[in-house]
Amino acid sequence: MAEVQLSVRDLTVRFPTERGVVEAVNGVTFDLEKGQTLGIVGESGSGKSVTAKTLMNLLPRTAEIDGEVTFEGEDVRKIAAEGRQHFWGVKMTMVFQDPMTSLNPVKKCGEQIAETLRYHMGRDKKTALAEAVDLLGQVGIPEPAKRVDQYPHELSGGLRQRVVIAMALACEPSLLIADEPTTAVDVTVQKHLLDLLDRLRRERHMSMILITHDLGVARGRCDDVAVMYAGRIVERAQTETLFSDSRHPYADALLRSIPRIDQPSHTRLEPIPGRPPELINSPVQCAYAPRCRYAQPDCLDSIPAVQGVMGTHEFACHHPANTDRGREALAANVAAGRNAAGLEVIGYAGGN
Amino acid sequence: MSATITPDAIDDEVAGAVQKTLGIAFWVAIAWIVIISLAALLAPVLPIKDPHAIATGPPRVGPSMDNLFGTDALGRDVFSRTIWGARISLAVGFLGIFLGVVVGGALGIVAGYFKGKIDQVVSFGFFTLLSFPALVLALLITASLNRSLLTVAMTLGILGIAPIGRLARASTLVFAEREFVQASRVIGAKNGRIIIRELLPNVLIPMGALTLLGMGISIVAEGSLAFLGLSVEGEAISWGKSIVDGSQTRDLDNNPHVAMFPIFAMFLTVMALNFAGDRIREYTDVKETAF
Amino acid sequence: MAGSGQAPLRDDPNVLLSIADLEIEFPVGKGEVVHAVSGISFDVAEGETLGIVGESGCGKSTVARSIIRLNSIKSGSVDYQGHNLASLEGEPLRKIRPDLQMIFQDPISSLNPRRKIRDVISEGLAVWGDEHGAWSQDRIEELMVAVGIDPKFGARRPHQFSGGQCQRIGIARALALDPKVLICDEPVSALDVSVQAQILNLLQDMKERYGLTVLFISHDLSVVKNVSDRIIVMYLGKACEIGSAEELYARPRHPYTRALLASIPEPAPTVDVSEGDIAGELPSPINPPTGCRFNTRCGHTTDICFTDEPMMQRVGDADHYLACHHPVEIAVSV
Repeated sequence: MAEVQLSVRDLTVRFPTERGVVEAVNGVTFDLEKGQTLGIVGESGSGKSVTAKTLMNLLPRTAEIDGEVTFEGEDVRKIAAEGRQHFWGVKMTMVFQDPMTSLNPVKKCGEQIAETLRYHMGRDKKTALAEAVDLLGQVGIPEPAKRVDQYPHELSGGLRQRVVIAMALACEPSLLIADEPTTAVDVTVQKHLLDLLDRLRRERHMSMILITHDLGVARGRCDDVAVMYAGRIVERAQTETLFSDSRHPYADALLRSIPRIDQPSHTRLEPIPGRPPELINSPVQCAYAPRCRYAQPDCLDSIPAVQGVMGTHEFACHHPANTDRGREALAANVAAGRNAAGLEVIGYAGGN
Repeated sequence: MSATITPDAIDDEVAGAVQKTLGIAFWVAIAWIVIISLAALLAPVLPIKDPHAIATGPPRVGPSMDNLFGTDALGRDVFSRTIWGARISLAVGFLGIFLGVVVGGALGIVAGYFKGKIDQVVSFGFFTLLSFPALVLALLITASLNRSLLTVAMTLGILGIAPIGRLARASTLVFAEREFVQASRVIGAKNGRIIIRELLPNVLIPMGALTLLGMGISIVAEGSLAFLGLSVEGEAISWGKSIVDGSQTRDLDNNPHVAMFPIFAMFLTVMALNFAGDRIREYTDVKETAF
Repeated sequence: MAGSGQAPLRDDPNVLLSIADLEIEFPVGKGEVVHAVSGISFDVAEGETLGIVGESGCGKSTVARSIIRLNSIKSGSVDYQGHNLASLEGEPLRKIRPDLQMIFQDPISSLNPRRKIRDVISEGLAVWGDEHGAWSQDRIEELMVAVGIDPKFGARRPHQFSGGQCQRIGIARALALDPKVLICDEPVSALDVSVQAQILNLLQDMKERYGLTVLFISHDLSVVKNVSDRIIVMYLGKACEIGSAEELYARPRHPYTRALLASIPEPAPTVDVSEGDIAGELPSPINPPTGCRFNTRCGHTTDICFTDEPMMQRVGDADHYLACHHPVEIAVSV
């Protein structure tokens, strides 16, 4: 059992807004082992990006944060409060979806990487620039000596993202958080970028948190996957377990709703009805219950506690899918024609 | 049989827009604008002194029971002159900006929508107007015509065409690229309908707020013209002229009230217009998405 | 890839829309031009769903928008029921518009933020006289229900709805004119994963219910396979491969098609993952490569690929057309 590198306990993030307090992240708990890749999957509003930004201390001042975050034995929130300078960007770094938000359009690419090296690692100008060229080569940019003098707009989207990765890895972090790093690029470029991240991760013995809405990406590149919904982790499992034997009805429903390349043309998809809930003044119930085919009255009464084996397969559900209890609940709903929240429920094609 | 759950079955209530209020300060500003406009409109029938009558009281005397705002060098009642001055100042403000919005707005929208040659011509026109020193233009117009209310308003209006027109054009350029305009074209709407139904509400509503701000600018501009002797001629009273009247050095030292009251009136009105315009702009700034 | 080459045009009486040798260019200043689409030919039969798939810069959206003349066309023909849409102008063009409607990529941006959604949906009817084809102003509520929007929300404005709901409104707007052809330009790309399925199902339902012929543009290979009967794969303004959905995904023969299928996060079982390792960057559409446009990145090139454009040719008897000098051979049992 490898050592735990990152430990998050009961992380809660609230934002006061005009309409009320938004609970963007609600009691998120997980561990990350050294060298592990954790995928965090969720749709908009699930809280995955906010979680990442909390780890990176990138939230606005108005955010109210509770809970503990421990990285390599240190209390991250304390580091933030102290205003320590050489932690983020050095030990823990992040890559974002849009490279243009990380890159300064009026500075040359090489200079932006060199800047990181000078600031965090104290390199002198010449060495920093030389290292920048080397890094550009490591991330697979052809003719790095030429690219070093180019501005971001002179590069394609894929190359820009590589520059951003080079910047993130310049100071040899032990944890890389990638928030939808390939969402904005084409599929062939996506493959190259994800291959690159895989390679760099292995070479540098880095752990990675990969945030994505694309289940396929999570499946192919992560050791473990955590599924988030309405600010909570509703299920976490080793990748293959999640994809073949999920427990949380949301994870299950999500898998059924996406078109797959191995399905024949015109396969009827199973959409999840409705929309994710508002995160303001959420009632004390399972947030997914209104859309859940398995929902029973107790789902509307209390928030399900996390059960299962931490680090192997955890989920928070009163009537989990692929269990007897769940199957009973589903059968009852199909018979009644509706779930406990009044949602119409019909049997799926092909049973279950 | 596969699940065909009606997708919106569980949505009772679509997320409503944020309930924005205009705020109490906004209504205070509107109240002032209404009061001063009504006063201006009803000036002839209000129980106030004749603004032209001299010696309604001892000259250069401050506020008293007889003369609420005091008297000027000729003993004329400042209170009455301030109210009468509102007539011209507000009229100039309104007419001036009206011309700018209607002409400038129309030209700008047409230029931004059709682009190409039309845009080149209109933009060149704007460019020329903007290059003209405002004062020279005012002088030219008032020298060649007269200095009636209409002429002064027209001068200010012409000066407003280019800045407002450019704003309208820029706004139109942005909106004309939006997919909902393309959607209208795909449906088969003609250009006229697209401009009126799709572009105008989007371009003009934010501009409407700027109209109020523009009125404020026009009112102050009239004051500047008055200082150059280019405001309405003859006996006609405007705030600008009243301020000029009361701004002889001797008067400013000894009886500043003659200038101060019209100054306050102008100040409060312009501030109210600015504030109201700003609040409307914020209020009508439609959020692009609730999520 | 097929510069000219009308081989894919089928001799079928059911063909509704036939595009031949379509070329589209955009000027980009300094006298230069982007060759967005360079000689593509294909047809769509009535009731068919044709998917057009490719990466950014391939020209798929441009093709779709050109059919309904949101772009100008340099040369080529767009034949719809005897009319050449590429050469129509003014009133004759406008009169045909109701037959060919479009769903846009950004659902929220495709609706006028200042109009009530009921007005947005019925705009087409308002333009064409309150009645057109099967729909009329008094039946708008029915249409709203059909797409899953509660009519009682008709007076609300787009920003009060979610992305998925806005897309439904866009679909209702397109359907209000009772069109024959529905062009969908990346209709689900901007939506959450769980909402995508709702909209895809809805489009399928609407297609069946109202007898539509659909053009579906997307970069997502799984989505395209799900909705399409036939698919065109495009690269840098050219068509690489055309065929029925099953055929194309089971027996892809163009190296680019294979690269795409190998690159998706869960690669298609019919290709090897390594085929996705195509080198290099997308060439500039201002100066595209001579010969086959894929030659800068393909692993199978020979001299001819740099001099001669490959023409579209049929593969055997199947509904499968290909523009390549060295199509990849397929083992018999796949």
